[in-house]
Amino acid sequence: MSHKAYALLALLTVLALGVAACGATPPPAATTAPQEATAAPEQPPAQAAEVLIRLWAQANDVEHWRADGPVKAAAMVTDYNLKVEGINDSASWGDYKKKFTLAADAGEGPEIVLSGHEDVPVWANAGYIVDFEACKAKYPEFDDVIDSLWDSGTWNGKVWAVPQDTEARPMYYNKAKLLELGWSQDEVDSLADRIANGEYTLDDMIATAKEAIEKGVVEPGYGYWHRPSKGGDFLQYYAAYGGRIYDEATDKLVISQNALLEFYKFQRRVVDEGITPANYIGTESNIWHDTVSHGQALFWNGGVWNWSNWAKNFVADEGGNDFLFSFIGYAVQPTGIRGKAGVTLSHPLVYMITSPKTSGTDLYDESCALLAKTTTSEINTPHAVDSTHLGILKSQAADPAYAQDKLLSETLYMLDYAFYQPNHTMYTPWFDIVYDGMLKAENGEATPEKAAEDVVKLLQSELGDFLIVED
Amino acid sequence: MAVTSATAAPPKEGALHKLRGFSTGFWFMSPAAILVIVFFFIPSVIIFGLSLTNMTTATGFQNWEWVGFENYRRILEHPDAGPIAMRTVFYVVATLVLFNVGMALVLALLTTHVPKRVGFTFRALWLLPRITPSVIYIMMWKWMASAQPYGILNRYLPFLSSSNLLPQAPWVFVILTNGFIGASFGMILFASAIESIPKDFMNAALVDGCTIWQRIRYVILPAIRWPLLFVTTFQTLSLLTSFEQILLLTDGTMGTEVWALWAYHRALNNYWGNLQWGFGAALAVILVIIGAVAAVVYMRFFQFNELVQEPRIDTL
Repeated sequence: MSHKAYALLALLTVLALGVAACGATPPPAATTAPQEATAAPEQPPAQAAEVLIRLWAQANDVEHWRADGPVKAAAMVTDYNLKVEGINDSASWGDYKKKFTLAADAGEGPEIVLSGHEDVPVWANAGYIVDFEACKAKYPEFDDVIDSLWDSGTWNGKVWAVPQDTEARPMYYNKAKLLELGWSQDEVDSLADRIANGEYTLDDMIATAKEAIEKGVVEPGYGYWHRPSKGGDFLQYYAAYGGRIYDEATDKLVISQNALLEFYKFQRRVVDEGITPANYIGTESNIWHDTVSHGQALFWNGGVWNWSNWAKNFVADEGGNDFLFSFIGYAVQPTGIRGKAGVTLSHPLVYMITSPKTSGTDLYDESCALLAKTTTSEINTPHAVDSTHLGILKSQAADPAYAQDKLLSETLYMLDYAFYQPNHTMYTPWFDIVYDGMLKAENGEATPEKAAEDVVKLLQSELGDFLIVED
Repeated sequence: MAVTSATAAPPKEGALHKLRGFSTGFWFMSPAAILVIVFFFIPSVIIFGLSLTNMTTATGFQNWEWVGFENYRRILEHPDAGPIAMRTVFYVVATLVLFNVGMALVLALLTTHVPKRVGFTFRALWLLPRITPSVIYIMMWKWMASAQPYGILNRYLPFLSSSNLLPQAPWVFVILTNGFIGASFGMILFASAIESIPKDFMNAALVDGCTIWQRIRYVILPAIRWPLLFVTTFQTLSLLTSFEQILLLTDGTMGTEVWALWAYHRALNNYWGNLQWGFGAALAVILVIIGAVAAVVYMRFFQFNELVQEPRIDTL
């Protein structure tokens, strides 16, 4: 290579590194406290200039209120003259989050963004969002939010987000098949309570499913259908065996080795006992929905939000909701340890106010006023009912529209058994590693013991000081 | 570089002539050179720079730090690095040998030895997987492999298991889905190269009593050495860095995570969204190095310099 070529190479290297390094120095303004909330004008500023608030939400058709709710709520804001541009994005979560982070870094993000609560630590640390403390203190509407839900938006001792919806992930069961199996009506009706109080365990579920197959009540492999793809649902069985994910005192992630092993053994056992098909994970999701909504499985786990999808897209011809209610029962997930209460994973979605660097504007107060009017039963209940998500407000249970919804009113108690995923920046690799190990155990690529052993090693390698390994 | 030196005018004395020669070569090369610099060289340098940082979604583009070769150390010590590297080699070699070169060659030979219209129709049909949108193409495969009563394969092939076939043989499906698409590229290039072999050569071989195998071995293969090099090199690099079908088919589960998909999952798309740009960039840099080394090895193996020699007829 000639000298010229070397010189060109060096020049390009310097240019590229310069591009990569630009902006490395300034600390994020957004991780500091937001500007002091100013007192709202006493009179509605009828003549005030219109302020545009942009809001992004990830939503499918039945979840359109995530963006449409704030658009509607804008008319109720009296402090400011707001115009809300709400975008419901039907992209996958991964693409949606990527779009936001790239827009945020370019200073072209929205003023308000909706996402899963697990993004709070990541986006707060990156300076994309600002804390919600001042806003929370300013409007009485926020006092109506179910207290425990604020935990999901809390990180580093501060609240960063306000909940938009939440859900429970029930263990569904086919009541008609249980009766066919010889259960009494009382036994069927009391199953949800027996699961909640730890009387009916995962072992019992396996035994029931096996018996149903032996007696020909369900086809082999149709005793228990868990989620067929990656998702937080599987953490419920780690938790059911007493597994911990997070240690609040030290702000570290945790892996409980015994619970991990029992969890992996359970996932393998359901295949070995013949109640779940071999090679099941990877089943196409529409096949899964079609199978469970038509009552072919005895037990299956899903989310409450699946219900509206089944009613509208899979069993509409059979009668929709009425058909589903005719045979489906729901409970929290059974425990793995007899006597210990059942569990369910809740995954609240939250609205976050972005930093001025993210949006290129400084509209904290205006965004706060909008979110206050969005956090009302009037705005939130249509979303909860249409998309079968649980409510986020204390007053919502008494809202006639919510109370009349059989599924929502009968599953609201599950929030008492709910746990959340931790708000920790290293949770992504923790989850990926634990899930991959489970997959190997269930598919028989490794014994549960080997899979658990490898996972602990991998977690130690990836997370280092962020991890506590306990028995 | 070799192309310019080969096509440049014979050296003449005088600085002006030299300059003119350099200038002509420069202008001929510049479109390609600019493309390579803008779309390969500069991104590679930037990716290398990124790989020396701890940049993640959680640090944003504001709070990151230089960490030297820490990401490379982590890769070397990562328990999954070895198995994923081996899987990548298996995936590339198997798909390349069985389909992208092997099947492509067989298809090209078959379709050039049947009536032209039939051969053309067959090649056009074989392009269907390539022109079908990937998401639809893979969804069709997933439904075909599904458990009864949804799956087509185990309905009509009763000796197969009735449960979902994909997790039972994930690599078979990964290689088939990639191979059916990949083979069409080589098939078209090989077929056109075979058809451009002078008929005299073929006739002479027939007169000499060559069998079909001898014609392939001693006439056709030597004549298509250049497209063979190109297809093998291009498809190796393409397979090394491609993961679209695997992503859609298994998302890297069932032991099918290859190196490029590992980098993608770490840097651009994982389940809960904390993207590890620094670590993912280091994975990508390793792939770039492996690709560059593979290209050089192929060029030596196929004697690239001889292939790009100036045609002898011009030098007489």
